[in-house]
Amino acid sequence: MLSFIILMSLVICFSAILALALNFQWGLGGMINFGLAGLYALGAYACAILILKLNINFFWSTILSMLIVSLVSAFISIVTLRVSEEDYFAIVTLGVGEMLRLIALNEDWLTGGALGLTGIPRPFSNIIPSDAYIYIFLGAYILILCACIFLLNIIAKSAFGRSMRAIREDDVVAVTLGKNLLWTRVRIFAVGGLLIGLAGSMHAFYYQYIDPTQFSNIVIAYAIMAVIAGGKGSHFGVVIGSILIMILLEGSRFLKEIIPGLGSDQLSAVRIIIIGVGLILVLIYKPNGFVKEYRLNV
Amino acid sequence: MQIIFNGFVTGIVVTLPALAITLLFGVLKFPNFAVGSMLTLAAYIVFTFNVLFGLSLLFSTIISAIIFGFLLILIDQLTFAKLRGSSSITLMVCSLGLGFVLENIARLMYGNSARSFAIELARPFFFMDVRMNREQIITIIVSTIAMIFMYVLLKHMPIGRAMRAVSDNPSLSLVRGIDSPLIIKWTWFISGVLLTIGGVLIGMDRAIEPPMGSSYLIAIFAAAILGGLGSPLGAFVGSLIIGIVSELSTLVIPPNYRIGIPLAVIALILIFRPQGIFGKPNIKK
Repeated sequence: MLSFIILMSLVICFSAILALALNFQWGLGGMINFGLAGLYALGAYACAILILKLNINFFWSTILSMLIVSLVSAFISIVTLRVSEEDYFAIVTLGVGEMLRLIALNEDWLTGGALGLTGIPRPFSNIIPSDAYIYIFLGAYILILCACIFLLNIIAKSAFGRSMRAIREDDVVAVTLGKNLLWTRVRIFAVGGLLIGLAGSMHAFYYQYIDPTQFSNIVIAYAIMAVIAGGKGSHFGVVIGSILIMILLEGSRFLKEIIPGLGSDQLSAVRIIIIGVGLILVLIYKPNGFVKEYRLNV
Repeated sequence: MQIIFNGFVTGIVVTLPALAITLLFGVLKFPNFAVGSMLTLAAYIVFTFNVLFGLSLLFSTIISAIIFGFLLILIDQLTFAKLRGSSSITLMVCSLGLGFVLENIARLMYGNSARSFAIELARPFFFMDVRMNREQIITIIVSTIAMIFMYVLLKHMPIGRAMRAVSDNPSLSLVRGIDSPLIIKWTWFISGVLLTIGGVLIGMDRAIEPPMGSSYLIAIFAAAILGGLGSPLGAFVGSLIIGIVSELSTLVIPPNYRIGIPLAVIALILIFRPQGIFGKPNIKK
């Protein structure tokens, strides 16, 4: 039971970072990113490929994969050069996400195709004794999560954070006040991309193998649910949201015992239906989440 | 020639779903990501009548279209109707969730394996050195009739005029006494019919399987955006262009990446002509 809780906490750590990235782009920046699953896959694959194929150590491959995802995200946001409606942007991000997943699935020489990449070594696994390793690993992940929240809080209160929120509330007014819309959007996406790359790398180190099925669009549903349930714009709330969602998700594994006679295909279908219904219910009944966004008071 | 013809058919398959997206966008003001899964579910409903009950394909399409139209009205009442007036992002997220639910209901009920309609195979024939098969001809005829019908409906019938009024200016149309909840129900019903026909045409072209609809989603959106979201004529022209361009692209790039073409088209249009070919520039107040 203890090891189950530890493994779940590890999953919660990187899911929470992914949700924080979405929260940064959507909750604070007002730009929805439906390509999240594809970019997350890009982060994980970039990290794994750098380690396995180019023999770069874990630290630099994580940093590089963060930068790669960040660049790709920034590039996507340039498409919004002329449109200010979120509708089109959502479609573009969805398309890019699909495209990235297709690349992971089809470029066998680089990504291993449908089989994925295996044998990604965990950092320092040869130095630290194996019975203590998992605790140190968990500690490191929690530290990274806390560092992310700390840095995001600083950004949210900085001048950049304020202009982000101004653009989210009303881009026309923000532009008339001299804010550079495109540049702010590019930066929002670049910073979000760094976090997605980090979460992707942590995903790769945790599972030690990656394949395209881990990055289906359902990842977006988790992250969106975590952000909405936690309260858009609030970092602490988003972490709580992720914990709740993961408990719900892992709990749904036990469905097999409740409803007998389900095959594994049908079971996964039922789980996704539950997630979809949950997402819609949260949108309808709890659209503002549990924790309010931090606001400056006069 | 052969490639252009194939592209023409690929494109025309997408016209009806693209038209449905455009209508829904016009009236409800958000891009509906659940359309892909709706296509799949509609195809499976037709499959149920056609194969499991043994009715003819034409007859089962008609029954399914009516059932699916009402089903969409019901779904709308359960989900989107409760969120009317929220931001379009909220509605998009809701449609994404709905898409997961619908696709997996299909998966739960019919399994993962590919199915096909009960139609007898016919030999392809040649016309002016172009190889055509019967399904392609049916696709062209059915889509054209449906497009002409939609054009007449939108231009000259009271419901169509009311739909255009609601999509142009919801509050003004409300003041003028148009019952907009009723119009929204009609829009869903008509979209349901269009999606059912579209689902049957796609199912005839390929196999029916759970990811069928969502694999077309990007192409459908590209067609609708290229023509200008909210413009029915644009949806038609946009679909043809997307179909032909992506079929031609297979000469140069591997077919696995065909989805990249609609995507590139979307990105280029958004940069150079955001309102699409037939759309009007949207001036922000």
